[in-house]
Amino acid sequence: MSTNGASEPDVPADLGLVSARRLIAPPAEITFPLAPGDRALVAAGETVVAGAPIAERLRDPELIDRVVPASADPRPGGRTSDGELLFVWRDRWRVAGGEVTESFDSPVTGIVREVRPGSAIVIQASGRALNGIVALGGPSRGRLHIAAGSDGELRSGGLDVGLAGTILVVGSRIDAETLTRARAMGVNGIVVGGLASKERRDFTASERRQRAALHRLAPYAVLVLEGATRRPLPSPVMDVLEALAGHEVAIVANPPMLVFESEVDVPQPRPDFVRVRGGPLGGRDGIWAGLVGPRRFAGGVHLEAGSVRFADGTVTAVPLGDLERFV
Amino acid sequence: MTSEPHAFLTIDHGAATASIALIGRVAGTWRLIGTLALPAGAAVDIAVDLLVSRVRIADPELASALGVADIDSDALPRFEVRSRRPRRLAVVAAAERTLTRLMATAGRSGWRPTGASAETTDPLVMSRLLLDHDIDAILVGAGDPPRPDERSAIRELAALVAAVAVRRPEVPVVLSGAMSEALDEFGDVSSRPGPIVLAPAALERGPARAGQSIRIRIPATDGPDAASDKPDPLGELLLEVAMPADDPRRAIGPATQALADVLHRRVETIILGHDAGVRAAAEPSIGGTHREVRLAVVPEAAVAPDEPDDAIVDGVLVWSTVPSDRHRIRDRMRELRIAPWADAAGDGAALRMAAARAALVRLAAATTDFEGASPDLVVCGGGVWSAVPAPTVALAHVDVLRRSGASQYALDHARLMGTLGAIPDEHERLTVMGDLADDLLAPLGSVVIPSGLRSGRSAGSVLVHAGGGVSELDLVPGSLELVDLPPGETAVAEFRFRDRIKLGARGRHFAVDVAGGLGGLLVDLRDVPLRLPDRADRRRDLLAAWQAALWQGFDT
Repeated sequence: MSTNGASEPDVPADLGLVSARRLIAPPAEITFPLAPGDRALVAAGETVVAGAPIAERLRDPELIDRVVPASADPRPGGRTSDGELLFVWRDRWRVAGGEVTESFDSPVTGIVREVRPGSAIVIQASGRALNGIVALGGPSRGRLHIAAGSDGELRSGGLDVGLAGTILVVGSRIDAETLTRARAMGVNGIVVGGLASKERRDFTASERRQRAALHRLAPYAVLVLEGATRRPLPSPVMDVLEALAGHEVAIVANPPMLVFESEVDVPQPRPDFVRVRGGPLGGRDGIWAGLVGPRRFAGGVHLEAGSVRFADGTVTAVPLGDLERFV
Repeated sequence: MTSEPHAFLTIDHGAATASIALIGRVAGTWRLIGTLALPAGAAVDIAVDLLVSRVRIADPELASALGVADIDSDALPRFEVRSRRPRRLAVVAAAERTLTRLMATAGRSGWRPTGASAETTDPLVMSRLLLDHDIDAILVGAGDPPRPDERSAIRELAALVAAVAVRRPEVPVVLSGAMSEALDEFGDVSSRPGPIVLAPAALERGPARAGQSIRIRIPATDGPDAASDKPDPLGELLLEVAMPADDPRRAIGPATQALADVLHRRVETIILGHDAGVRAAAEPSIGGTHREVRLAVVPEAAVAPDEPDDAIVDGVLVWSTVPSDRHRIRDRMRELRIAPWADAAGDGAALRMAAARAALVRLAAATTDFEGASPDLVVCGGGVWSAVPAPTVALAHVDVLRRSGASQYALDHARLMGTLGAIPDEHERLTVMGDLADDLLAPLGSVVIPSGLRSGRSAGSVLVHAGGGVSELDLVPGSLELVDLPPGETAVAEFRFRDRIKLGARGRHFAVDVAGGLGGLLVDLRDVPLRLPDRADRRRDLLAAWQAALWQGFDT
């Protein structure tokens, strides 16, 4: 069903009873965690561009005891050549230091809002964003490529090295094997509708093992847009992703979202568009046809319901809790 | 027609559910006129319009008398409360034993705690924990007096936390027990935006009382037993730091006390929320007696926890009445977290029942001190019950809380407990609660649970004297007997057991006053505690059979 009709219909007031989901988020503050010993390379107020290094992360931080002369004006969170000062104990400073560092690059363009050594760097991204449920790994950046439709699924055999450097939209679900193979192929990220808990656990374990290895890993992130069960991507979301195809986007974890440049023109769904999020009609798109009040549903359960007109012309009462609209 | 409305709205913005109630002045008392519960995320103003329009359609005269017949809904006064997501507390201690006590206290005081002790964690890892940008407050503690194994670590721990406090000046820091003596490490605390709070040590309790709840004293005349009062001051303090007084979860304490005072009965309130479980217990005030209400806010007992680990998933599987496996239950629990109102019919309702029972198990484990005598009235609440038939709610509670005795069960169907409890003035709270007590509680019925029955033969009989008639039931150990007793009716249940059993006290003959409800009178002759088959299919069948009697139309 088309989600962006030519003429704007009047919005019925009772549509407000359906939970609203923001389709495109305004420029967000994105937090990148730091650990004690990590060194921030930026300061609050500075502008950063995507790809610019913003921190050096310690791979294997260790605790060191050092005498720091008072003339160096030592304070908690300050730095010496040995590392980050933590606290004074028995006239010596406890320092978080180490030998091996990794450069951490900003995946987004924006303004540094806050730098807290040992805690986090916060950047106000300049672009807009598509919200997700959770992001694993990452952050990461790459050119968006649609590898499967909203109800599709990407299998490991569908990957090739030609996709290296991209962020792939893989449809409704993906398994852990395909996720790990995609990383091995040089893919920078995955955008998926649902990721089952088992696949999530297997991928996270694989990611942990990879990170424990000595070599530095290329950035790789998985953004889950919907939940844990297989469900087609909502058509308004798919429309946005299709509009972003070929553009540079970034996956960030805190908050989980797909950030893109504001200049990209993304379509908006018609205002009376609703989507069935759960239940037997889960995944279907329709048009709001009005509130119908409490109805009895399967299992003898009474729930407030609304009528939805689907693309095939049928009108069905659906629990309000199963519906969502996009704003 | 009146020019001024004689009505107001209460709105409880829960994590998953927005509950709106219209309360009006009818014949000199406040009455619940109408109520509506919708998924959080819906437009509240439109929901208010819907509720008011339904009142106008259902009873135009009443709407006119209340002054809401032609009034703009925006003109109605509103009393709103909002649940906030439980915040994260970093808990550090010098020793593991102290850490365990601090974590237990924090976990039932509205916090999501993460802990480490100097005994097992090096200062670098501990610094990382405390500097985590998600941490909202820090609790650092030691015994009082400190035990020998703590003494050596206290000063270094204080130095570490003081350095973190310099780096994160906005974060409140609570110094518990002997750690208070290290206040000088923190320098000039007055210039710091986040407070440094001195607190007593966590209570040292045996395993049976590990789940000590918080006793909140409500201002009243100090009675003769005030000296024997043994509150948990650290828990009280943590609760105050965790959530404001008008938080509906914290307000469950005062609401429960007000209800106990109004009804002159021992009341226990159990709320299963999306972000936390709440349990409160109160006894009616008697002139001169110091009043207190026990309150526990347990984020770990949320119906849909953030991260459903194996223990949580296994806990839900135990109560599931539909075939499933770990992976699928974990996926559905995640979905329940993300969209708590979606997929609420059919299997979704069964999942909610299982998740609610599992949450109740976690709540009970964190509040073991509530497991004494049965209260006169158990008030159940929470958005999870919006999607299941009311008669099953009492059953879900007695499946988990196996207390020998008799109690009446009621449902806070309009979710008014948290709202009314947040009324700041105690007198006003009592007045409104007194007027609304009958309306806010949907009677679910009475539950009688005898314990100590011998299995295998009839345990005796019960005669139910109601409305001039008498009905007799054989008491078969292991069974659930249901007696139809509609809301508003009262009866006397006369139990005659063959052997001496426990029903509050020990004996053979008991006469129990019972009140009717949507589920009638439930005589629960199952084991105390409940024993369920190990085999999943048999367990599912048994749970479904118990549930079927109270859940018309559920055929999964």
